[in-house]
Amino acid sequence: MGTAYLSFEIFVVVGALAIIAMVFLANYRSQEPLPQEVVTSKGYALRRYWFWLVLVVSAITFAMTIPYFPYSAAKTPADAKHFTVVAQQYGFSLPAVVPVNVPVVFDVTSRDVNHGFGIYGPSGAIVGQVQAMPDYTNHLAMTFTVPGHYTIRCLEYCGIAHAAMQGEFDVR
Amino acid sequence: MWTYIGTGLAIFTLMMLAGILLRAAQAGWIPVDPGTFYSILSLHGVGMIVAMAIAGLGTLWYLVRREMELDERIAYIAYGFFVAGVISVIVSVIPGRYGSLWTMLYPLPFVGTYWPAWATGAWLIGNALVMLGFMLWCAQILGALLAKYGGVRGMLAIDYVFANRAFTQAGRKPPPPAMFAAAITAFDGFITGTVGLVIGTALLVHLIDPTVAIDPLWAKNLTYLFGHSIANLTMYMAVAGVYVGLPLCTKRAYHTSPQLAVAWWATLVFVIIAYFHHLYMDFAQMQWMQFVGEIASYLAAVPVVVVTVYGGVMLAHRSGMRWSLGAMFLYGGMIGWVVGGVGAVIDATIPANVDLHNTLWVPAHFHTYLLEGVLLFTLGWAFVNIEQRAGAVSNLMMRWLVGLGMFGGGALFVFSFYIAGAAGVPRRYAVEPVPGPLWAGVATAGAIVFALGFALCVFEAIRLMRLPKGEVAV
Repeated sequence: MGTAYLSFEIFVVVGALAIIAMVFLANYRSQEPLPQEVVTSKGYALRRYWFWLVLVVSAITFAMTIPYFPYSAAKTPADAKHFTVVAQQYGFSLPAVVPVNVPVVFDVTSRDVNHGFGIYGPSGAIVGQVQAMPDYTNHLAMTFTVPGHYTIRCLEYCGIAHAAMQGEFDVR
Repeated sequence: MWTYIGTGLAIFTLMMLAGILLRAAQAGWIPVDPGTFYSILSLHGVGMIVAMAIAGLGTLWYLVRREMELDERIAYIAYGFFVAGVISVIVSVIPGRYGSLWTMLYPLPFVGTYWPAWATGAWLIGNALVMLGFMLWCAQILGALLAKYGGVRGMLAIDYVFANRAFTQAGRKPPPPAMFAAAITAFDGFITGTVGLVIGTALLVHLIDPTVAIDPLWAKNLTYLFGHSIANLTMYMAVAGVYVGLPLCTKRAYHTSPQLAVAWWATLVFVIIAYFHHLYMDFAQMQWMQFVGEIASYLAAVPVVVVTVYGGVMLAHRSGMRWSLGAMFLYGGMIGWVVGGVGAVIDATIPANVDLHNTLWVPAHFHTYLLEGVLLFTLGWAFVNIEQRAGAVSNLMMRWLVGLGMFGGGALFVFSFYIAGAAGVPRRYAVEPVPGPLWAGVATAGAIVFALGFALCVFEAIRLMRLPKGEVAV
């Protein structure tokens, strides 16, 4: 999905603004104190706008994210290629090759404990993930547009060799 | 109160040292085998949450006792449960080598274990004892609040909000702000403790009789409902210290308002149901839960930024406040809460979670909350009390050194988590892929600077506590 760096940039910008704003407001003209009533009468009036701004931004952001939810097994075309993925301590059974530019669905399960099926693309970034659970099969729908070598890492703590649990496939 | 806060901070200190060891191991600076790594990580996780909870419960108990009668013996019995539980958990790790982490997901810790079954039992029983102590605390506080303010209606100030004019004209007063923190902690805490005991009992039963089947998705839901709630509640406990401490520092008043009451009602609800955000990558969950998880996570932030933090900024703004360590920590903790909240809200956004789930972004946001939020609120409250009693504050150089250590070192420490998480480095990896070890090294350096600042702060607290009682209010 490639949103991780966007997330990081948003975090840095919004986080920095928040720190600067809060430090500034606490130190601004701190040598000239005002009575509390003066600060609060302006503060409460402003807060009404702040409240609506926060609420509206939350609602709009929520609405904007819905089309990008990954629970799209229902939207997957009926002729998508299915690949079974089975996780177990400490490896994955995977297809060796996955087609490029074709809708695919990974049917993911586990033989023992919870694992995480984490797909890392050729550039090293995560492109998709889903939990691999015992007694359940999760369906991860994807279309790979970048050919190359993909690495799978376990993304749910599963035991002593969790960090060594890897797999791979090629997309072409 | 000081017993609880002191115990909490003592456990925190030990867990902090364990944490530095873990990050140093991930940096490749200290060799630690994976089994030992995961055992220490298990202890570190549960130990930090329990440490902050014990400190927060102590603060709240003291503040409730200022408003009404409370039997001290119950607080000590609860404390006894906490200590017994903590000892049992420690023994399960040292020497038991339990290594399944604190939010372990069934069928862990029963498959592929490298520790004896008794260690699993000691871990589960220890956590259950802590939960029993917590529920005892919740029962006492809830009972006292309901009795004092007249049922749920009075405790939550329902008449004050919906029939404000009649309420105030009758000369009635709503509970003070800190009592809302106590009410929500006790009420949501009761739910949290119950859920923790249910899943804990199920796991104990399975330990004794492995033929008893547990549905893994049911177990996952309960585990995250419990873990999410107890971790979040530590913040809502500690904020009571801000409600009382910051007005003291700024020499201003902080009263209950209808907005404050409604903000806490929102917290009561959204803090619990936001737990669905831990299961975004569980496509087996019912889809409506994923939607609720995201919107509840967003809405849980609204009372924080609109009421509590906004109110804190208004208290500080042009107040002529002296930046003692107490004031620095209380205000700094609010900044940490907001910054951690930005990281959290991003992770709680489902399309972002696809790339961030179970990467180091997750410990990034909660270390920000805990280290630069909950801990600072706890220290801030402790220092305000110590400074007021001594009639003295720390000198400028000491304040700068502690500030640089705990804010600067702390920032470096958490920043390393965020950047490694954004690069896709997974969490809970004893050996991390590139660029994990590089950022683990930076984090270790930051953590050591933080620890030095913290040590100075402890030294300063002891120095101030040993001063004779001051004549002048600070």
